[in-house]
Amino acid sequence: MSGYDSALSIFSPDGHVFQVEYALEAVKRGTCAVGVKGEEIVVLACERRTTLKLQDPRTTPSKINKIDNHVQLAFAGLSADARILIDKARVEAQSYRLTLEDPASIEYMTRYIAGVQQRYTQSGGTRPFGIATLVAGFDANDKTPRLYLTEPSGIYSAWKANSIGRSSKTVREFLEKNYDKRMQEKKENAGENEESTGLNDDETIRLAIEALLEVVQTGAKNIEICVMKPGKTRALTNEEISNVVKQIEDEKAAEEEKKKSHRRRD
Amino acid sequence: MDAAIGIRVNDGVIVATSRACTRSITILKPDDDKTRILNEHNILAYTGTSGDTTQFADYIQGNMQLYSMREGVDLNSKGIASYIRHELATSLRSRSPYQVNILLAGLDKGDAPFLSNIDYMGTRVDLPYAAHGYAAFYVMSLFDRHYRPDMTLKDGMKLLKMCKAELDERFPVVFKGFQVKVVDKEGIHSSELE
Amino acid sequence: MQVEYALEAINHAGTAIGVLAEDGIVLAAERKVTSKLLEQDTSAEKMYVLNDNILCAVAGMTADAGILINYMREEAQRYLSVYNQDIPIETLVRRVCNVKQGYTQHGGLRPFGVSFIFAGYDDRYGFQIYTSNPSGNYSGWKATSIGANNTSAETLLKQDYKDGINLDDAKKLALKVLSKTTDSSKLTSEKVEFATVQLTKKQPSLKIWKPAEIEKLLEESGVQDENDDKEDKN
Repeated sequence: MSGYDSALSIFSPDGHVFQVEYALEAVKRGTCAVGVKGEEIVVLACERRTTLKLQDPRTTPSKINKIDNHVQLAFAGLSADARILIDKARVEAQSYRLTLEDPASIEYMTRYIAGVQQRYTQSGGTRPFGIATLVAGFDANDKTPRLYLTEPSGIYSAWKANSIGRSSKTVREFLEKNYDKRMQEKKENAGENEESTGLNDDETIRLAIEALLEVVQTGAKNIEICVMKPGKTRALTNEEISNVVKQIEDEKAAEEEKKKSHRRRD
Repeated sequence: MDAAIGIRVNDGVIVATSRACTRSITILKPDDDKTRILNEHNILAYTGTSGDTTQFADYIQGNMQLYSMREGVDLNSKGIASYIRHELATSLRSRSPYQVNILLAGLDKGDAPFLSNIDYMGTRVDLPYAAHGYAAFYVMSLFDRHYRPDMTLKDGMKLLKMCKAELDERFPVVFKGFQVKVVDKEGIHSSELE
Repeated sequence: MQVEYALEAINHAGTAIGVLAEDGIVLAAERKVTSKLLEQDTSAEKMYVLNDNILCAVAGMTADAGILINYMREEAQRYLSVYNQDIPIETLVRRVCNVKQGYTQHGGLRPFGVSFIFAGYDDRYGFQIYTSNPSGNYSGWKATSIGANNTSAETLLKQDYKDGINLDDAKKLALKVLSKTTDSSKLTSEKVEFATVQLTKKQPSLKIWKPAEIEKLLEESGVQDENDDKEDKN
């Protein structure tokens, strides 16, 4: 111990705040979560740890949480920390409604959550929250899907698609590669008069699941999906997820087959 | 001069509130909503000092919404009634108590029709029918005479119409008619008297 | 890091086991008898009633547990006074876990060195078992164990637990697993604590068993005989 990584967060001589970096480490060890925005929807997808045989699936808390009717939050990292942060956000969401008579915007909620996270990196006697969050939803009277990310340091940012947690880098690279590619394909396939600006609902859900499959090898039973539309939020059933996973796997297999037969011909 | 009336029937609960928003001898607004939806199967109606009423109702609504978010489950009607009573009883013993009377209507556990009458002193009574305001003096006798435990929502609406007719006949104050909401298995929805 | 030390402390504490049955819950725990002079019949030191519908078993530092148990009892009463109904199990578990979490995040204080098994009944989810640890995490279980040898206890539970098990079989299972994971060769009422949650007249009823009752149960369950056989063979 150098003294710069003791219980309180202080700067080391070379400008690091170790406590924040440890918190990032906790995030990296957490289960993976993905967020993807489509044209009309926003999707949160989470890796779900296999429930042990003796575990009660009904009473084991989820990684995707409702902050308010129009806001959902997915996290990666320490779940006990997340519970505290989520509760603060829930209270703020209702308190905002009480004073402003309107639901808080997604950006406001994100800023609030990131603000709390920042405070815990600086104020005396606390350690930072060991979680990163994806905040998704729709503002009141607005159909634009929103997706934000917050980090233990208190930084927040808006995204078309992103991921947090275990192997999030791989997943992010997958999304970077495929998000634009699909949009491009759409543009090319669209007719002269059609205007295509984003992924449709099925495509969005599919991309989110595909991205998550980069780190989840065990398929649908370890995936949890929340689909948000304006005024409507729904968790997909296991069956719906399996169907998409199956479709993806079938197509992949077909592709492999095609490649193989190509090679044979050569 | 506000009025709030509640009727609990077989398959749901009816809540009617006066539409007039008054201040002193003036009607400010003819389409006031004196109800707040708390969750899928519960709604409250209020009467009392304006300002106090909305502040208190919004506060209860916010806390019930928060409860649903935190627990992932709505609080049942009996729990809500206890909670509201607790808040009013606490408030009564503070320096500036809320002067609000509440009718809580809902389906307890999404199933059993439930109506509770809670006044600003923290008195709570669960009843088949109830009313706040001067209107109570006129409609109670009608309820005593015509209410039957096996009534349906349709019968309840008929009874409410009788109340309206009686008030139009005898009550000296214009209250701009009733806004009517119904809680049943499908949830909470608005209804018209006519 | 402090949390990890706390977890280590718990791994030396007496084993506690919880088994969820169709019609109730069993908690069983091993008490380490330190001296023969210690008064035994002042009874339970690992089982505590928290509310009319919840009890818990403790593993770890008993003094720390006392603070949290007190907090939970108060919290349960607070809920009762506001909502006029028993606090739901998960709500209470979450609240105490929020306290535990707080001690891991805010400086100047060490975390609570206790794990709990909570057993209770509410009309939301029926019978439920939860565990919590010093980090402030909790999760729900059908059967679980905390304290010393909890991994081997869980392996045994995994082997023998069947969905839809009844309370009598759950009692036997809990004692069987406890007898196998305990260091001492024979289970006696001095070394075992036992509690059950059941429904009587549709209301949850909690019971922390008296030594004489445990003795009788041990006899009936035949767990001791099995052990005796084992010793004979050895």
